[in-house]
Amino acid sequence: MRALITRSPVGSAERLQGAAIWVVLALLFLLAAALSEAFLRPIYLFNLIRQAAPVGITAVGVTLVMILGGVDLSVGAVISLGAVLCAVLMNGQTSNLATAVLVTSLAGAAVGLVNGVVIALGRASPFIVTLGIAIAVYGLTLLYSGGTARGEVSPGFREFMNYRVGGVAPVLALAFLGLAAVMAWLQRATRFGRSLYLIGSNPRAARLCGLPVAAVTLGAYALSGLFAALGGIALLARAGVSSTYVGRGLEFDVLAAVVLGGTTFQGGRGGVGGSVAGVLVLVIAFNLVNILGLSFYAQLMVKGAIIIAASAAYEYVQRYH
Amino acid sequence: MTVRAVNLRARPPAPLSGPFAIFALLLGVGAAAALWVPQFATPANLANVANQSAVLAVLAVGQTFVIACGMIDLSVGQLLGLVAVLACDLMAGRSAWVAPAVGVAFAVGLGVGLLNGVLNNRLRVHPLILTFGMLSVLQGVIFLYTDRSTGLTAPEILWLANGALAGIPVSVFVIAAAGIAGHWLLQRTRFGLHLRAVGSSEEGARRAGIDPGRIKLLAFVLSGVSAAIAGLIIAGRLGTGYPNAGNGFELDAIVAVVLGGTSLAGGRGSIPGTVAAVLVLGIASNVLNLAEISAFIQMVVKGLIVVAAVLVNRPREKVSG
Amino acid sequence: MRKLLPALLLCGLAAGFLEASASRAQEPDIAALLKQHEAILEAAKRPIDTKPFEKAPPYKVGLSAGYLSNSWILFASQYVKYEASLHPEIANLVITDANWNPAKQVADIEDLISKDVDVLLYWPVDEKSVLPALRKAVEKGIATVNVGYNFMDSPWVTGNAYVDQWAMSVDNAEHFARGLGGKGKVFAMLPIAGSSAAVTQLAALRHVLADTPGIELVSIEYGDWNRAKAKQLTENLLQRFPRIDGAFSPAGQMSMGILEAFDEAGRLDELTMSPGDEYNGWTKWVARHGKWGSVTSGLEVGRAAVRHGLDILMGKPVTNAVIVGTRYLTPAEAAKLYDPDRPDDWWPTTLPPDFLPQ
Repeated sequence: MRALITRSPVGSAERLQGAAIWVVLALLFLLAAALSEAFLRPIYLFNLIRQAAPVGITAVGVTLVMILGGVDLSVGAVISLGAVLCAVLMNGQTSNLATAVLVTSLAGAAVGLVNGVVIALGRASPFIVTLGIAIAVYGLTLLYSGGTARGEVSPGFREFMNYRVGGVAPVLALAFLGLAAVMAWLQRATRFGRSLYLIGSNPRAARLCGLPVAAVTLGAYALSGLFAALGGIALLARAGVSSTYVGRGLEFDVLAAVVLGGTTFQGGRGGVGGSVAGVLVLVIAFNLVNILGLSFYAQLMVKGAIIIAASAAYEYVQRYH
Repeated sequence: MTVRAVNLRARPPAPLSGPFAIFALLLGVGAAAALWVPQFATPANLANVANQSAVLAVLAVGQTFVIACGMIDLSVGQLLGLVAVLACDLMAGRSAWVAPAVGVAFAVGLGVGLLNGVLNNRLRVHPLILTFGMLSVLQGVIFLYTDRSTGLTAPEILWLANGALAGIPVSVFVIAAAGIAGHWLLQRTRFGLHLRAVGSSEEGARRAGIDPGRIKLLAFVLSGVSAAIAGLIIAGRLGTGYPNAGNGFELDAIVAVVLGGTSLAGGRGSIPGTVAAVLVLGIASNVLNLAEISAFIQMVVKGLIVVAAVLVNRPREKVSG
Repeated sequence: MRKLLPALLLCGLAAGFLEASASRAQEPDIAALLKQHEAILEAAKRPIDTKPFEKAPPYKVGLSAGYLSNSWILFASQYVKYEASLHPEIANLVITDANWNPAKQVADIEDLISKDVDVLLYWPVDEKSVLPALRKAVEKGIATVNVGYNFMDSPWVTGNAYVDQWAMSVDNAEHFARGLGGKGKVFAMLPIAGSSAAVTQLAALRHVLADTPGIELVSIEYGDWNRAKAKQLTENLLQRFPRIDGAFSPAGQMSMGILEAFDEAGRLDELTMSPGDEYNGWTKWVARHGKWGSVTSGLEVGRAAVRHGLDILMGKPVTNAVIVGTRYLTPAEAAKLYDPDRPDDWWPTTLPPDFLPQ
C-alpha cells in the first residue's frame, strides 16, 4: 500500500503527453506573434497572464477535482461571491485587508466543502450537484448584495496587485504563477496529491487499498472552492468593484482550460501545469481574434473553432507519441 | 470500465429504469403546490405550466439519448436559437410557409447533429469540449445572421405552442408524444438497446458487434432534431426569432435528464423520468411566481431543489470523486 | 465516403448561408431610426382609450422585469416600489425577474395574469418576443405599460413610460464631438450586442459623426454594461491602435473600465471621453478631474410608469407615452451628484432609505 503511494503516478509516457499542450501553446503563440507583433512585447505578454489570472487561479483548483474524476461547475458563482464578499469586508479600509481576504477564502472553501460532502457522502453526480450549488450561491450572493455591487476595495490593494515588478510583471500575474507552482508541487510531492491520481484512475482499487477517499474528495472540493474565491479576489484586483455577476459563465472557460490542458473527465491524469497552459491558450486565442479586429460574431466562431482544434491537435499529438 | 458482454437476444425490455423517486417528487410537488397556492390547480394555470414546459421537455428527451450513450451535448441551446431565428425569418407570419420552415428546421437540426456526430467520431475530442466549442460556433453563426429578433411566427406554430385541442393544451400532446416516442425508442427498439450498450461500455458493445461510431452519430442526430422541434415551439412562444432565445437551455436540459434518474455515466436512461423532472422544474417555477417569492430567493430555492432532488434520485452505480 | 457526404453537404449549406446573410448589414439603418424617433414622438401624443381597462380600486400592480442584473435597472425597480407605496389605492405589487430569458418572461407574465393583476408594468428582454404574452394580458383587460428605453407602439402595449434614448444618445454624441474638437480616432463602447440600447446608441453616434468627417470611428465594442469586460476590450484596442483620441461610452459603468485601461497603459492624456451618466463611479472621476460631464439617464422612469398605469386604470385622459427627458450636465453639475459615502456601483436618487437596494 505504501509502495503505491510513494511511487510517483506520473510515468514518463504521461509526462510526454502532458507536454503536448505546451506544444500547442507554443504553436498558437507563434501564430499569434506572426499575425501581430504585440505578442512579442513582454509587457503585453504579462498583461495577458494578468488577464488570465482569475480564470487561471480558479482552474488550478478545479484541476485537482478533475484529477479525482469529478467536476466543479460552481466556481463561477463562487468567483462572484468572492469578489462581492471581499469588497464588502474591505469596506475601503487597509486595516480590513487581511481579514477580508481570509474570510473570503474560508467562504469559498466552505462552499467547496458543501460540494464535497454532498458528492462524497451522498454519492451523487458532481456535474449536477455543483450546478445546483452554483444556482443557489448566485442567489445567495444577490441576496447578500441586494443586487448592486457593494463594498469598496482597500486603498493600495489594486495598486499593489497591478504594480509591475521589474517594470514588466504585475504582482497579480506573478501571484497566479506562484499559486500554480505551489499546487503543481502539491499534486506531485504530497500524499494528498498522489492519492488524487490514484483515486481518479481506479476508485474501486483505491477504496479497497484503504485510501481515505471521502477525506480526499472533501479536500479537493474545498481547495477548488478556495481557489475560486481567490479567483474572485483576483478579479476584484483587476476590475474593481464592478458587478454581482462578474463570475458568470467563467466556469466553462475554466473547464475548457483544464480539459485542454490534459486533465480529462475520466480522472487519474493531467495536472496543474497543463491547466495553466490551457488558460494561456484561451487567453491568447481571445485576444488574438480581438486584436485582429474581427467582429463580434466572428470572434465567437473562432473561439469555438480554436477550442475544438486545439483539443483535437492535443489528442493527435498525444496519440502519435 | 468493466467489459460486459451484451446478450442481444435474451434481454427483456428494461422497466421504467431509474428510481421512482422523481415520480414521487412530482406528485409531492404538485400536491404541495395545490395546497399552498390557490391559483395553482386552476385549469388555466395548469395549461400555462404545460405550455411553459414543452420546449424543455422536447429538448431534454433528446438529451436523454445522448447522455444514455455516455456523452453530453452542450450545443443544443444555441441550435434551438438558430432554428427559431431561421424558421421565423422564413415564415414571416405566413401560413403557406410553415411547411418549408419546418423543413428547414429539421434540416438544420439534422445537419448540426450530423456534424457533431462526425466530428466526435473523427476527432476524438471529448463530447463536452466538442459541443462546447460548437456552442460558441453556433452562437457566432446566429449573430452573423442577425443581431436582433427577426421574423414572425405563423399562426399554426403559435397554435402549437399556445393553443388547445378539445380543451387540452396542445403542449400536453407534444410533451406526451415526445415522452412516449422517446421511451419506445430507448427501451423497446434494437437501436435503444445498442445505444445503452454503447453508453455502458463502448468496448463491450464493439465486441458484441455494435458499431459505436454509428450509434453515437445517431444519438447526436436525435439531439439535433429534438433541438429543432424545441426551436419551433419556442418560436411559437415568443412570436419571433430572438437570437439569444436558447441561452442556457442546454444546462436546463441536462439538469432535467439527471434529475429524472439518467446517470451521466451512461448505459441507461429514463425518458418518463426526464419528462417528470421537466414538469417538477416547471411547477416549481410557476409556484414560486404565484407565491410572490422574490427573484433572488427563487434562485436559491431552485439551486437547492436541484441538489436535493439529485440526492433523492441518486444513480445506483458509484460515481468516482 | 458516407462520412464525407454530410460534411460536404454542410459546407454547401454553410456557403449558401454565408452568401445569403452577406447582405444582412449589422450596421443600423440611421435614416430608419430617425424616422422611428419622429414616429415615437408622434405616437406619444396619441390619446389612449382607457375604457377596456378602467377599474375601481384597490389595484394590484404587476412588474415583469426582463432583468435586474445591473444597478441602474435595480434602482429603477426600487423606484417602482417606492412610487407604489405612495398610493394607498395600490393594494399589492408583484415583481418577477426573467433574468434575460425571454421564454421565462412570457411565463412570468402568464403567472402575473393568473394572479389577476390590474395593470402590468414591464421592461422586455426583447421587444418582439414579449408581444404574445402582452397580447394575452390585454385580451384579459389588463393594461400594459412599457418602462424604460424601448418604446413600443403596438395594440398590445397600452402605454409607455419612455426615456428618450435617441435624444439622449444624440445629445451625448454631440458633446463628445465638440469635446474632440471635431477630429480624431474614436471607438464606441456599447451595451449588449443586439439590444435596442446598443443599436440606438450606435445609430445616434453615426448620425452625429456624419457631420464631422474629421472623426473616424475605428472600432465598435460590446461591453455588456460590464466594467471588467470593457476594460479588457479597451486593453486590446490600446494594443491595436497606437493612438486613440476618444471613446464614446454613454454608460458610466463601462467608462470606468475604459479609463482604467488607459490609465494603466499610461495613455490617459490622449483620451477624450464622451459624457457618461450619473453612475457614482463616473461622477467620482468627473468630480476629481473636472472634465467631460454627464447626460442624465432617466432613472425616475419607474415612478412615471406607476403613475401612468394608475391614470389608465382611473380613466384619466392620457396619451400613449410619458416621456422622461434627459439632459446634459456640465462637469461641475455632474460632480455634485457624486456621493462619497456610497460605492461606485450606485446612482443618485431621491429614494428614502427604506427603498434603497437592500
